[in-house]
Amino acid sequence: MANLRTCLAFLFLCCSLCDAVYEDQVGKFDWRQQYVGKVLFAHFESHSQASKKLILATDKNIVASLNPRTGDLFWRQVDKAGPEGHIDTLLFHGQVTGNGRLLRSWESSVGALNWEMLLDPGSFLAAVLVGTQDSVKFVAVLKKATVSLHYLSNGHQKWTETLPDSDTVHYQAVYSSGGSQLFVLGVVPHSHLSIITFNIEDGEITSQRSVDAPWLSSIQARCTVVGQGVLICADASTLSLYMLPLSSEEPVGLQQVPLQSLDLDLALGFQPVLLTTQPNPARPPLAQFFLQLGPDHHVLLQLSDGHLSPLRDFQPAFLVSFATTGEKTVAAVLSPKNETVSSKEGVKRSFSEQSNQGSLITILFERKPDLYSADSGRRLLDTTVTIHLDPNGGKPEKLYVHAFLKKDDSVGYRVLVQTEDHTITFLQQPGRIVWTREEALADVVTMEMVDLPLTGTQAELEGEFGKKAAGLAGYGLAAMVLKRLSSQLILLQAWIAHLWKLFYDARKPRSQVKNEVTIETLARDEFNLQKMMVMVTASGKLFGIDSKSGMVLWKHYLRNVQPNAVFKLMVQRTTAHFPHPPQCTLLIKDKETGLAALHVFNPIFGKKSHVTPPTLSRPVLQSLLLPLMDQDYSKVLLLIDDEYKVTAFPSTKNVLQQLQEMASAIYFFLVDASQGKLSGFRLRKDLSTELIWEVVIPPEVQKIVAVKGKRANEHVHSQGRVMGDRSVLYKYLNPNLLAVVTESVDTHQERSFVGVFLIDGVTGRIIHEAVQRKARGPIHLVHSENWVVYEYWNAKSRRNEFSVLELFEGTELYNSTVFSSLDRPHLPQVLQQSYIFPSSISTMEATLTEKGITSRHLLVGLPSGAILSLPKMFLDPRRPEMATEQSREENLIPYAPEMPIRTEWFINYNQSVTRVRGIYTAPSGLESTCLVVAYGLDIFQTRVYPSKQFDVLKDDYDYVLISSVLFGLFFATMISKRLAQVKLLNRAWR
Amino acid sequence: MASPGGHGGGAVSTRGGGGTRRMKWALELSLGNTRQFPVPSCRSRGDRQSSQGDTLYPIGYSDKPVPDTSVQEADRNLVEKRCWDVALGPLKQIPMNLFIMYMSGNTISIFPIMMVCMMAWRPIQALMSLSATFKLLESSSQQWLQGIVYLIGNLLGSALAIYKCQSMGLLPTHSSDWLAFIEPPQRMEIMGGGMVL
Repeated sequence: MANLRTCLAFLFLCCSLCDAVYEDQVGKFDWRQQYVGKVLFAHFESHSQASKKLILATDKNIVASLNPRTGDLFWRQVDKAGPEGHIDTLLFHGQVTGNGRLLRSWESSVGALNWEMLLDPGSFLAAVLVGTQDSVKFVAVLKKATVSLHYLSNGHQKWTETLPDSDTVHYQAVYSSGGSQLFVLGVVPHSHLSIITFNIEDGEITSQRSVDAPWLSSIQARCTVVGQGVLICADASTLSLYMLPLSSEEPVGLQQVPLQSLDLDLALGFQPVLLTTQPNPARPPLAQFFLQLGPDHHVLLQLSDGHLSPLRDFQPAFLVSFATTGEKTVAAVLSPKNETVSSKEGVKRSFSEQSNQGSLITILFERKPDLYSADSGRRLLDTTVTIHLDPNGGKPEKLYVHAFLKKDDSVGYRVLVQTEDHTITFLQQPGRIVWTREEALADVVTMEMVDLPLTGTQAELEGEFGKKAAGLAGYGLAAMVLKRLSSQLILLQAWIAHLWKLFYDARKPRSQVKNEVTIETLARDEFNLQKMMVMVTASGKLFGIDSKSGMVLWKHYLRNVQPNAVFKLMVQRTTAHFPHPPQCTLLIKDKETGLAALHVFNPIFGKKSHVTPPTLSRPVLQSLLLPLMDQDYSKVLLLIDDEYKVTAFPSTKNVLQQLQEMASAIYFFLVDASQGKLSGFRLRKDLSTELIWEVVIPPEVQKIVAVKGKRANEHVHSQGRVMGDRSVLYKYLNPNLLAVVTESVDTHQERSFVGVFLIDGVTGRIIHEAVQRKARGPIHLVHSENWVVYEYWNAKSRRNEFSVLELFEGTELYNSTVFSSLDRPHLPQVLQQSYIFPSSISTMEATLTEKGITSRHLLVGLPSGAILSLPKMFLDPRRPEMATEQSREENLIPYAPEMPIRTEWFINYNQSVTRVRGIYTAPSGLESTCLVVAYGLDIFQTRVYPSKQFDVLKDDYDYVLISSVLFGLFFATMISKRLAQVKLLNRAWR
Repeated sequence: MASPGGHGGGAVSTRGGGGTRRMKWALELSLGNTRQFPVPSCRSRGDRQSSQGDTLYPIGYSDKPVPDTSVQEADRNLVEKRCWDVALGPLKQIPMNLFIMYMSGNTISIFPIMMVCMMAWRPIQALMSLSATFKLLESSSQQWLQGIVYLIGNLLGSALAIYKCQSMGLLPTHSSDWLAFIEPPQRMEIMGGGMVL
């Protein structure tokens, strides 16, 4: 029987669904962009001239290699997300990179894993490459209580030693300079410094000493080893440097060198940072080092014969870096270009002022890293690079320099600049930007798709019926006719120009025809398939991306956005209201202070709007976008604060009047997950609120995980479902319905459960509740039309399961004209069914179309990177156990517990979207077509056709054949008519 | 081409007809001098000339109309019978239609649809040309009865067609047929919110 059932189901599948992309459609409507995240470590590989590479390790736990010429990825290795895969350090010597809990070695040319070693438990502190006799052979790893040495070639451990007194001494640094000794430095805060020397060959402790250093609290960034093994520490309180030769046998104390004696003036709040360089791990570091004296003040110091001497003072200088090529080491300094401002305070002040204004920034942000010879502090000739930084971007944060020897033995260099907004820019020497990568896009938080504006000519026509018409009415009919004629003429002109362009392009080879998309030429296409994707990233940078090509058309960096801020993006005015510009509003809430700010901007150009948003003095709890519009056609945004008072934006007189009229029909709901409380509020006429209902889900038993309402722009075409006997089962389409998912606090396999509550958001009435026993999260939920689909982990059977709830009103409609939650005496009928899904999922979303006629699909992001388009037909609680005449009439697939994953359903074929975090769907102008954007580490955009392309001719439609047949038939008719006439005449003459 | 038979006799009309419609053979009753006209159109012209020229009438031709002296009882019966045939025609088709209906089944495909269309169209056509049929029946004494029978027959035929449509599910009699026209209900309350940000 089961066999028969699966057979039937299979037959159904075969005949009904076939969605896969054809080979020639690859990349036609879709694109993918791959990102790596914020760069933590970067190294240039320049050993062989032929294959230059840039090796990166990022905060997204990725080791990647970039092509320095184009900025494209050579390879990318994605580790586990979260702290488990965190990369602690990246050491680079030919082919080695290190990784915190594990030590891994990667082959830098192809990205293959050479070897992997599991390190002993204990918190990781430092790692360093160790070389002996001019060759690098080992990696030393310092942990909380141990130090171990590994072979570089295969990762095997040479020796491991426990560190003495590890509970009192904080070991923080490990150092080797090519000899047979390995130094481990530890500190007992405000007491003394502990230096232990190991023999590299057998790990034996050769010496152990402690030096009094009551001012020292931490070694990292405050201490460094310079020259022939001299430890240099900086102290902010005494404003002096301390020196200590590491390898000396006799117990000498720290030698104090006051900074005053070096003729250095210091800023208040001096936070010293030492920067040194060790070009080759088998050799001691250079004797030159940088000391940061202030945020824009660095000084290059030199240690020679036990004496410190300043080589050069750099002020203002924001970033400094060393680079080595061959035997030469250079220092790069990034300084602002206009050096007219002399005093330090002046620079700082003007800097902060400028960065807040954002308009005059360009001049100040022009930076030039100069190259100085590290040996002498002399400036190398012609080595200035001027960087024009984007005024909408952030400040530079890190500087990586790649120096190389030119043919005439002079030093050339390239610079990788990382800015606060996670952008990395690669520059060549004359100041040319080779490439830019927007790594902020690796962390998209929320997005919206906005229609593009009409073209100038279309707008002209529209304008005729808009405001201009009112002005023209006075001139009478003739003027109107003239106006109409002129606009038609313009249209004709545009059309001819378009035809000419088509003709002109057709003669050129295909590869040369490139439709350059710029922000000026953006216009809505015939079917509204091209839209503007407005993406908000966690770093606070906003992007406007063309959905057709994936090109970043504008970007805007919001300064002062906290890293843990919460974003909510709303489209207040679409492009439909010419000549008013479209308007988007981004609500940014700082998690710590709870204070929120509004950023109002034009989603097409990314420019900040002239509209001044209200200042929000109280923490905002939630926002609500009303369908009400003010006279400028922007929707009204209500913000509810922690005193349950409401602020309206825009708050013109017109809006306030409308709000007063509508107040009794406007409801809020707020969910406090920590207290397990759902509460409903009603707006009063004076813009305060009154509590009308409250549901408490005890937080000691279960916690609220997710609350989902329906999407505001969702249309449902069919109000019911046709049954086999041709009666109608009406859907329960409550627009105010909320799906609340809870998880049990007790995570024991036998006692854990998942609860789903369907609550009316206006009245607080619990419409339905379902409990899934022995189930656990993470739960993914989609709520749309009259159904809720959720996915959970079945702890008993150890598998992922889908469950679907569908709500029906019955065979009679209670009220077919209006829906009011306050007048619904009958509870809906609820049907439920569950299915086994063979994979865990990352995210889930439903397709959305213009009118809701097209059948729905669920888009399921899988951890493998695939995006599955699962027909909703399979998740239908009316699927019968046994196929009957009536169910067949209804096209119901007989119930089968297993949900198939068919590879043809992957809408992204082999373009995996790594770590997919969200899927956004938007309707297009075509009813059959839904635009899909999947974002995570990568961004993937495509179109889906859940019911196939019923309103468009297919791509491979044979125009030639059809038209030739038509013309052929037409001519055949003409000829045969003529022949018939001749024949008739001849017959008449017989 | 005007027929010369209009003022000529039967034989002339036959000959003239032979001019327009080509016949395999023609019987020449008037011994005219037709041999010298090989082309048919010229021949008919020659005929007309000849018939106008001399009063040459074909054999059996009589100038005076023959008075219709006998309208006999048998003929009247014949007319009556003929009229009943016309009136009962639609009724007689019903068993045939029933059989076709049975044979074509209830599936919706091109043949049953064609059958149904024909079945529905014929009575409707008949009902449209009702007055013409009534004129036909005028000569009968039971004109009204026959008319009513004819009407009922056609109505039955169309009823049958409708029944067939019904059994095929082509009539919008179920609520599901009107589902697409139901507008989505208007929303009375505006609601929004969510998790506390």
